[in-house]
Amino acid sequence: MTPQADLGIFAISVAAGLIGALAGVGGGILVIPALTFGFGVDIHLAVGASIVSVIATSSGAAAAYVRDRMTNMRVGMFLELATTTGAVCGALLAAVVAPGFLYVLLGVVLLGSAGMQVARMGEEAPPTDQPSPLAARLRLESSYPDRRLGREVPYSARRIPLGFVMMWIAGVVSGLLGIGSGVLKVIAMDGAMRLPMKVSSATSNFMIGVTAAASAGIYLGRGDVDPQIAAPVALGVLTGALIGARLLHRISNRSVRLIFMPVLVAVGLETIGRGLGFGL
Amino acid sequence: MTPEKFRGVVSTVLIVGVGISAALIGAGFLAALAIGWQGSLIGVTHAIGYSTADFGGLPGRLAALEPAAIAQLGLVTLLATPVARVAASVVGFALERDRLYTAITMAVLAILLTSIFFLR
Repeated sequence: MTPQADLGIFAISVAAGLIGALAGVGGGILVIPALTFGFGVDIHLAVGASIVSVIATSSGAAAAYVRDRMTNMRVGMFLELATTTGAVCGALLAAVVAPGFLYVLLGVVLLGSAGMQVARMGEEAPPTDQPSPLAARLRLESSYPDRRLGREVPYSARRIPLGFVMMWIAGVVSGLLGIGSGVLKVIAMDGAMRLPMKVSSATSNFMIGVTAAASAGIYLGRGDVDPQIAAPVALGVLTGALIGARLLHRISNRSVRLIFMPVLVAVGLETIGRGLGFGL
Repeated sequence: MTPEKFRGVVSTVLIVGVGISAALIGAGFLAALAIGWQGSLIGVTHAIGYSTADFGGLPGRLAALEPAAIAQLGLVTLLATPVARVAASVVGFALERDRLYTAITMAVLAILLTSIFFLR
């Protein structure tokens, strides 16, 4: 590859990481269409490059959340049983399904992510429900410091089997597409298990790196993690995500998401179109 | 180990792992921009190009300071970071004498190691 193409892949990865961070989705979901449509990279190599960039961005963010007690490590470790198993299944499946199917699935996940962001615009505190007996046995109850409320907020988990199955599905999608599938993880914890939104996001981030590592090992062994593509992508997405995290503190979450929602929808529709064979 | 210390160790493993791998990947990428992906910083030339699936030849290619090999070492380090985090959690839960979570984290570690070493 020429130095121009190397720098081009790096630049487009910075943009994907930046927009991803600002729009509240991972960089992988945008970097795969950018690489395949923009640079003609084979989708399997794009997925291999994306999955390692997912480990970099999520591990960096997770480190801070763990220290701030936002992450529930027991919930994370328990559900990682489901996500890693799913990710292994997804990575093994990716080798045998048609690329068109991968594009359509990626597009659907993109549109779903955009929809989730709209639904989450008005965020509220979680209900304090009766904890399930299983949650007590698994010691999933805890509390987190809420800065805005200025107090410790206790919480527990409900509907654990449902959450576990949803996490397995999130793992399969992550392994198939080389993305973090953070949105699906958050839906499982916040929607099904009724964990507080902030704890769900932080724990999702904590889990993404381990989920990604389960399928990244398979992609690496298969030779799908080509340093020529993976190196600029991992560096670029990490750089973009770091810049995005800085910018997010200065601008309102809401307006940023409204601005980038059309980007997610457009990329999602384009990706589905490619998958179905209507090249634009 | 106190819960605070446990969190501190997990957090440090993640930061150090990402830091080292980003430095290696960055070094490999910059070297590739300078001399190309097929080159060697000390001028050693190989008859054949590298294979992205062959890690057995990595030490020799690292000794030749090939940009692709330096980046690959960084990518492997990046993959090892979550594995190290899970391994640290196994030890942490064991020290807390939490048998259930020691078993759960060991199972996650086993899945990760199986996928890395045995599945293609």
